[in-house]
Amino acid sequence: MIEVSHLTKTYGRHLAVDDVSFTVEDGQICGLLGPNGAGKSTIMNILTGYLSATGGLVTVAGHPLPEEADAAKACVGYLPEQPPLYPEMTVEEYLLFAAELKGVKRADRKEQVRKAAHRTGLDNVMPRLIRSLSNGYRQRVGIAQALLGSPKLIILDEPTVGLDPAQVVEIRKLIRELGKAHTVILSSHILSEVQAVCQQVLILSKGKLAASGTLEELTAGDRSLEEVFMELTGGNAEEETGEEEAE
Amino acid sequence: MTAIFKRELRSYFHGMLGYVLTAFLLASSGIYFLALNLGYGLTDFGYYTLYRTIFMLLLYIPVLTMRSLAEERRSRTDQLLLTSPVPVWGIVLGKFFAMCAVFALPCLMDVVMILILWALGGTVPALAANFAALLCYFLLGCAAIAMGEFLSGLTENPIIAAVAGFSVLLLAYMMPSLRSLFNAGSAVALAVFTAIAGAASLMAGLRTRSFILGCLTFAALCLGLTGLFLLQSAWLTEAFSAVLSVLCFFTPFEDFVNNSFSLPTLVYYLTVTGMFLFFTAQSIEKRRWN
Repeated sequence: MIEVSHLTKTYGRHLAVDDVSFTVEDGQICGLLGPNGAGKSTIMNILTGYLSATGGLVTVAGHPLPEEADAAKACVGYLPEQPPLYPEMTVEEYLLFAAELKGVKRADRKEQVRKAAHRTGLDNVMPRLIRSLSNGYRQRVGIAQALLGSPKLIILDEPTVGLDPAQVVEIRKLIRELGKAHTVILSSHILSEVQAVCQQVLILSKGKLAASGTLEELTAGDRSLEEVFMELTGGNAEEETGEEEAE
Repeated sequence: MTAIFKRELRSYFHGMLGYVLTAFLLASSGIYFLALNLGYGLTDFGYYTLYRTIFMLLLYIPVLTMRSLAEERRSRTDQLLLTSPVPVWGIVLGKFFAMCAVFALPCLMDVVMILILWALGGTVPALAANFAALLCYFLLGCAAIAMGEFLSGLTENPIIAAVAGFSVLLLAYMMPSLRSLFNAGSAVALAVFTAIAGAASLMAGLRTRSFILGCLTFAALCLGLTGLFLLQSAWLTEAFSAVLSVLCFFTPFEDFVNNSFSLPTLVYYLTVTGMFLFFTAQSIEKRRWN
């Protein structure tokens, strides 16, 4: 589904992603793990065609980027770090707009929007203005938007940020469910989350790919994912586990 | 593109902005129409109303266009647009047509005013001339909207986009007077061209992060200018005045006000529109590579 080889991205002189290569097979749930500033969001922005790579080859669903960007974008649903919402619209208006933007046929739009809203638990807030929603609901509207057009690949950047524990459980259930029919990539710095839903894990540190493999491979020899993560990402580890406990 | 067009158009009328802007432009043309066209019985709508209220566009256009791209960037909704299977030009055109549609509302009311003049006994040639002037006025507005959209795409802050749009339009509005100031002699032309060369070299130096390249560019440009100035100084002054006359954005509209139809004027406004829409798409495209 995704092939990335020797991907490099620089912002000015700052090297954000440094020679990263990986592949994600069809129907997998892949976790992108790393401390803040490791380059998770940058990689996701490149996979979705929002940014262009400085170097390297990226192929999404068989379409090389940026040459066949439009065809690749049609196969991808994306929830960015900050959900891209228009506060002056109602949830329903917004989802209908997103469906039209993704080229969902007019006849199917209502049905798709209803399904996506139902899966993310938005049925009751459809007529409300996005402006008046809580952060948790905004996040869910963002996820619903990513499901529209039933894309083959769903990319979620920190999908459970701002949700309460019950919602986190619900969203994890949803992600596992999505993994049956779609390929899912999600980024997180919460280890337990990755452990709970992902089959494949990529660990990033300072723009470099520190480790990749299935959960079993990474935690071979009775080591916990936490230990592996700390070892690979070095100095940031304590800070990160602190954050995890706070969640 | 249609999805973006519809959302954008609706967003102007979700809040107050669309109504306030329309009322603002209508009030100004309404007052001139009432006082001059109706008050004195003058049938020339193009001159007495459109031409005399054209300075209102200096405020109207920047406020209309300031949010178009800047706000998307600020609220990160550009990530939704740019990662959806819509080409960049589709985004640029969708927004552009939506703003043109908002601008078309006061223009439609102008149509009513023109029809009133005709019903009150205006001649058919006067009616045709008034409609021609309105067409040119609308195209002028669209060209200004394209420019405003371009400026809005350069920044994340709508206020900066509005101030920049106002400054550029004001400069274009005052350009006829500024041009007569500059026509004094070729020495002024040389000074101005040298300043342009300096700015260009500075840009080149900053973009490539090379001090030497910037200096070399400046030296080469100055050498070229000096050569031209010594050998063919008439070229410089002519080129200078030609450049300035292209920047007189509001002057071509006067052709229509004098009851004549001028194809070059329409071509000029359409060219400006196309050029700025192209620049807008390019600037969005460029940002992804940075």
